[in-house]
Amino acid sequence: MSEETQNRRLVVEAKHLVKRFGKFTAVDDLTLSVNEGEVFGFLGSNGAGKTTAIRVFCGLLKPTSGMARVLGIDVTDDPEEIKRRIGYMSQRFSLYEELTVLQNLRFFGGVYGLRGKAYKEREKWAIEMTNLQGKEHLQTGDLPGGWKQRLALACAVMHRPKIVFLDEPTSGVDPISRRRFWRLIDEMAGEGITVFVTTHYLDEAEHCDRLALMHAGKLMALGTVSELKEVFSDRAVLEVKCPDIIAALDLMSGQDWVLETSVFGTRMHVVVRNAQEGKRLTLQLLEGSGNAPVEAREIVPSLEDVFIHHIEKEEAAK
Amino acid sequence: MRRTWAIAIKEIKQISRDPITLLMLIGAPMLMLVLYGYALNFDVEDVALAVQDRDLSSASRELVDRLIGSNRFELVATLPPGSDIQEFLDRGDAVAVLIIPERFGQKLAAGETSEAQLLIDGVDSNTATTVLGYVNGIAAGINATRARESLRVEGNEHLLSAMINYQPRVWYNPEMVSSLFLVPGLIAFLLMFTAVLSTALSVVREKERGTLEQLRVKPLRTSHILLGKLLPYLAISLAGVVLILVAARVLFGVEVRGPYPDLFLATCLFLVGALGWGLLISTIADSQAVAFQIGVLSALLPTLLLSGFLFPIRNMPQPLQIISYILVPARYYLVILRGIIVKGSDLSPFWDQMAYMAIYTFVVLTLAAVRFKRQEG
Amino acid sequence: MYVLWRVIVKEFLQLRQDKRIIPTVVLGPVVQLILFGYAANLDVATVPLLLVDQDRSAASRELVDNFVSSTYFELMGVEDAVKDVEPWLVAGRADLALVIGAGYGNAVAAGRSPQVQVIVDGSNSTAASLGLGYANGILQAESARLVATRLQAGERSLIEIVPRVWYNPDLKSRWFYVPAVLAMILMIITMVLASMGIVREKEIGTLEQLMVTPIRSWQLIVGKLSPFAVLGLIITFLVTGIAVGWFGVPLRGSLMLLILMTMLLLLNTLGLGLLVSTIANNQQQAMMGSAFVVMLPQIYLSGLIFPIDNMPEVIQYITYAIPLRYYATILRGIFLKGVGIDVLWPEALALAAFGIGFLALASLRFQKRL
Ligand SMILES: Nc1ncnc2c1ncn2[C@@H]1O[C@H](COP(=O)(O)OP(=O)(O)O)[C@@H](O)[C@H]1O
Ligand SMILES: [Mg+2]
Repeated sequence: MSEETQNRRLVVEAKHLVKRFGKFTAVDDLTLSVNEGEVFGFLGSNGAGKTTAIRVFCGLLKPTSGMARVLGIDVTDDPEEIKRRIGYMSQRFSLYEELTVLQNLRFFGGVYGLRGKAYKEREKWAIEMTNLQGKEHLQTGDLPGGWKQRLALACAVMHRPKIVFLDEPTSGVDPISRRRFWRLIDEMAGEGITVFVTTHYLDEAEHCDRLALMHAGKLMALGTVSELKEVFSDRAVLEVKCPDIIAALDLMSGQDWVLETSVFGTRMHVVVRNAQEGKRLTLQLLEGSGNAPVEAREIVPSLEDVFIHHIEKEEAAK
Repeated sequence: MRRTWAIAIKEIKQISRDPITLLMLIGAPMLMLVLYGYALNFDVEDVALAVQDRDLSSASRELVDRLIGSNRFELVATLPPGSDIQEFLDRGDAVAVLIIPERFGQKLAAGETSEAQLLIDGVDSNTATTVLGYVNGIAAGINATRARESLRVEGNEHLLSAMINYQPRVWYNPEMVSSLFLVPGLIAFLLMFTAVLSTALSVVREKERGTLEQLRVKPLRTSHILLGKLLPYLAISLAGVVLILVAARVLFGVEVRGPYPDLFLATCLFLVGALGWGLLISTIADSQAVAFQIGVLSALLPTLLLSGFLFPIRNMPQPLQIISYILVPARYYLVILRGIIVKGSDLSPFWDQMAYMAIYTFVVLTLAAVRFKRQEG
Repeated sequence: MYVLWRVIVKEFLQLRQDKRIIPTVVLGPVVQLILFGYAANLDVATVPLLLVDQDRSAASRELVDNFVSSTYFELMGVEDAVKDVEPWLVAGRADLALVIGAGYGNAVAAGRSPQVQVIVDGSNSTAASLGLGYANGILQAESARLVATRLQAGERSLIEIVPRVWYNPDLKSRWFYVPAVLAMILMIITMVLASMGIVREKEIGTLEQLMVTPIRSWQLIVGKLSPFAVLGLIITFLVTGIAVGWFGVPLRGSLMLLILMTMLLLLNTLGLGLLVSTIANNQQQAMMGSAFVVMLPQIYLSGLIFPIDNMPEVIQYITYAIPLRYYATILRGIFLKGVGIDVLWPEALALAAFGIGFLALASLRFQKRL
């Protein structure tokens, strides 16, 4: 019993989890744990293995090796029991577009065994939460993307799961809708529901209590946003502007005092050991090459810098 | 011309990467050829016959022997007198039951006409009709033999020469093998299949994926797009014809007896019309599933059933005959194909069929082009 | 049970929204009924006849009359020379030519072997043998008459075989084909729609969503398939109604038995549809897979259109693996023969066994995992 209560606090637990498709390793030695009530972000580029990992947690895919537990239940032991207790919103829109809003709610509620008063209560909650009052009888396919996503979320949590897995819930919707969606996630977290969400929008990651960075199946880093940014504690990030960014990039990346470079539109981020020293050397080098005027200032590193840092480290290791 | 070519090449590349379409274009017709060539036909042989002989005389035995000896019937059961014949036919254990009554032989010997009864299962009317024909022929044969014998016995042999001496001649297909009949029908069917369905599906697929819109914003004329779409399928369909002709020759020994250029000409005309029909469907259907259904209902089934391939058109009710004139170009093509492949004719007797096909092709292509253009605006 | 109910309700709601349903369920059956009810017609096959009468005597006219007044031939034209026969046959305007040579009348009068030639277009072997058979009968009868007149002896003892056709005395091929349409439509509609219904959920991603719910496989399967079973039963009533009311096909057996047997068939078609959907990844594959791999052989080898007895022996054995074969026997047994389960039980058993087999196989393959 005591082990059980202990596991309750770790809602998701993975140890050396591996998932292969034939020879291809989609998830490579993943070890992580998610605490009860936290918003856990799963960050990574396309093909990083996020969806595959989530599918393992949801009992849709059998792990090749390693261990994965959700709500204390091993995914290989009783995937059906897990399915009863979790919510899942898959990567693609997963509503029946030819049904109305209410028909979708009723169907997904019914699948989770909600009926009668219990269902009515949740339906009312769902309509309020998604702000779909007055639109109950519209065909889902006719709703704008943002509304569909909120409805899909409502369908996924009709049965009040302890944890909900959201796979790229906000891909392809406008920024305003994304903001509203994240407000919903924050509300759910407030009610004590654990949220496991994947995304490749780095700005969204700032909403998460803790983050996992994935690349090519491997976990690169894990921690709170500030913990992740600690990799820059002994270095500084400079933002550099100049007329010919491409030439500057070529020139800079050859210097031994430059640790990393990356382009952001018309600007360039340069990682150096020391801010003052780096700024001076940069101005000197670029203006010397006739790439003037040059602007360089120290900035607070963003998650994107962290992410790029890890990927470059990984690529360099290869 | 170069633009048409570019579209055509793109189309060919897409086709070669799509195993399902290829399977549809090549596999289905071959399957049909083998199925029809080997398995399916209306030729009735070895009819399952049961006999209930209540007479058991030499005459009754001779009757049974003559029926079996004709090679048309196969004796599957001898029923004892008094057994339940109804149940026997109900179960479908035999198609026909011959009942020879008591005193059958005695009556004959006494110079009276003697009757035997044949019960036929009429559920499959086609088989039953054929069986009726067989039985009539065999009975006539038996009686003729008996007449000859009795004339001889009576010394009236000279009267034998009064009988009509007739020689049946079967032209074009003396052994009456059904593959000779099937190959032209299958070619027409295959062409309708590849030309109509694959064109319609390929255009509708581009519609679904939005690539058709891409093509339309490019500086291409409607005629370029249409031609580019048509040419590859024209080529594939012609290749299909060659495939069928080769297979028919290897598997069934069927040869083309008429001139190839004439065959080619008629085939091209028919094909362009069929491709046009496919295009027309694609301007109506919005999804591949709908295109498929319209194609099956408007092209495949009519070609199978209304073209004279399996069932003679002249026996159909008037409205269906009219429909076949307007909507089933295969009816014209089939007459030409049978003429060239089986009868060794050239195109000259078929100028009227060619004219009808030309009219059909012109109307369908015009309609397709007009509708295609209109959707552009 | 409640979960199952929700799935069924959802399926019906979707079905109602599906624009493809009307053309498939109404247009398809109607077109097929018309085609098979009216076009697939082998019975009153009159053979188009060309006459070459080089004799033009009373005797030759009498023979010609026998041909023309029989219901078997339709006189299309008259030519004078044998060489003129060819164009008629080539163009398919006549299937059979009757050539009566000069001197026929004289030979008849003298009792000296009158000569007649029958030329038939063999390119359509079925029609050719039919035409030959008819001509043979008429010529034999005329021979017998000629001998009898010479003999002036009147009747002689003859063997007569009196045929009696059961179940379909007028030999209407409509009675044969129209029930077949029921089987084909059931097969096509229930199987294709079921397989596409499931594959579409794969395509749009809702199947993945469903797999992460506590719904059980059997609830999902039964829920998804049962609307199509209902659809199948509606079609059965519809087509049976048209067959009996419009085409005059008799329903001699019990309607109840027909429904029960149709349910057994639906186990097969739905099972096969499910099986296809576990293999196919998109709707096009499902469509092609059902059409060519399953439906074509089923329809052709079931005896619905082409009699199994006419097939080569090897293929006759293969037909035992075709569930539709059993349904075809059952269908014709109930419609035309009016027999009951006491006769049809072996077919019913086979149909049930195949149906359960397909469903079990498909359910095993259909799992709540990706
Ligand atoms: N069923 C599968 N079979 C083979 N490869 C797969 C399968 N599912 C995913 N993959 C591969 O695994 C990799 C990770 O995919 P995925 O988990 O979807 O990434 P993400 O969700 O992070 O974009 C991809 O390269 C993808 O092609
Ligand atoms: Mg993903």
